[in-house]
Amino acid sequence: MAGCLSMELSDSNNESSVTGMTGPTQETDDELLLRIRSGDEEAFLSLYRRRQGALYRFALHMSSSIAVAEDVTQDVFLTVLREDCGYDPERGTLSGYLFGIARKLILRQMERGRSTVALETGGDEATLPELAVEDDPLLDLTHREGLEALRRAVQALPQRYREVVVLCDLEEVDYADAAIALGCPIGTVRSRLHRARALLLDKLKQDRNPRRAVTPLNPVRCMS
Amino acid sequence: MNCQEFWNSLPEPAAPHPHLAECPDCTSRMRRQRELAGGLRTIAGYMDGIQAPARVEARLLAAFREQSGIAGRGKTRPRWVPALTWAAALAAMIAIGALVVRERPPEAARPSSARSVELAMIETMPTTPGAMETAAEEGFLPLPGAAQLAPEEDVNMVRIELPRSAMMQVGIEVSPERASETVRADVMVGSDGVARAVRFFEVTSD
Repeated sequence: MAGCLSMELSDSNNESSVTGMTGPTQETDDELLLRIRSGDEEAFLSLYRRRQGALYRFALHMSSSIAVAEDVTQDVFLTVLREDCGYDPERGTLSGYLFGIARKLILRQMERGRSTVALETGGDEATLPELAVEDDPLLDLTHREGLEALRRAVQALPQRYREVVVLCDLEEVDYADAAIALGCPIGTVRSRLHRARALLLDKLKQDRNPRRAVTPLNPVRCMS
Repeated sequence: MNCQEFWNSLPEPAAPHPHLAECPDCTSRMRRQRELAGGLRTIAGYMDGIQAPARVEARLLAAFREQSGIAGRGKTRPRWVPALTWAAALAAMIAIGALVVRERPPEAARPSSARSVELAMIETMPTTPGAMETAAEEGFLPLPGAAQLAPEEDVNMVRIELPRSAMMQVGIEVSPERASETVRADVMVGSDGVARAVRFFEVTSD
């Protein structure tokens, strides 16, 4: 599996991407949480430094607001400090749980501020856009402009597709954790991700061919 | 498997599939998906270093310490104060207890266990050159063999319960029947931890 299930580790901020472990000698998230419950400040800092980057970027991608991302990151860990935070290791990993808390906080903020920029599609799962075959919107994804266009396209996705792309493709969260975070079955994660990628390709194609987005062209034959 | 069935199976871009070998259109579509995944990974790489500002960690640390009760400890009295209090009380007990054991007449040697010692109050006050005289006026009786208080010496006042038999050591008569009962007393303890004087409540002779 690409992206979601890859296990790349980020050395820059001590984060682990998937399992809650960053190495054979490091404690799992659950072990750290146990120490946090007994008042261990070092454990709290370890967990925070391991997880804050991905949570902050997730909130930043979803809200496009530094202030919201900062508040959400802080509130997620304040929730962890509460004894009755509701985390149950039997139901999934702490990482998935943290993303789920972050998501709820983000959605709450978005409802208050209506700060979302979404590409409205009506939510009809059956109307998957056909991927372009005849032209190639991805030719410039190796260039800065192309990547910037892709980033804008991600931000323009409707919330339900944006969150799954950010989690699985950008933060490389695995499907199981994403399912916990999004509160849906793994199969739904996969189908949303598939549709989100299709929407992204369609958006990129529109950006490269703006006229086509306004008035779909029918095949015409040159008569000259 | 036809194209529709292939795409309905939600294939991952990196996963090989037999259908791709026989369908150029789906191969082309899958190539675009792979390129898209590569572009997303590049964006993820660019953003990998973005983290929450340090002030978030500082605020959370403060919240953690507050919840753990760490922050409040600095505002309370130093830890050595209660330790010193108990040490002074213990020293007073030992001093008086030693007097009781050493000088008790044989006929008064019935069991007189100090069942409990209750620390009810502690005061610290500096002495003046006439401190012992002032203390005597307040009902304190100097303990036998105890050194005089030095001028300006800090003393601790400890309230404890003692066997009534201890009153005999400072010249107060105690009936043998009541010798094992307890009586409250204020003990004046010098800065060296040695008891200097005692003041009994219920000082009426039995």
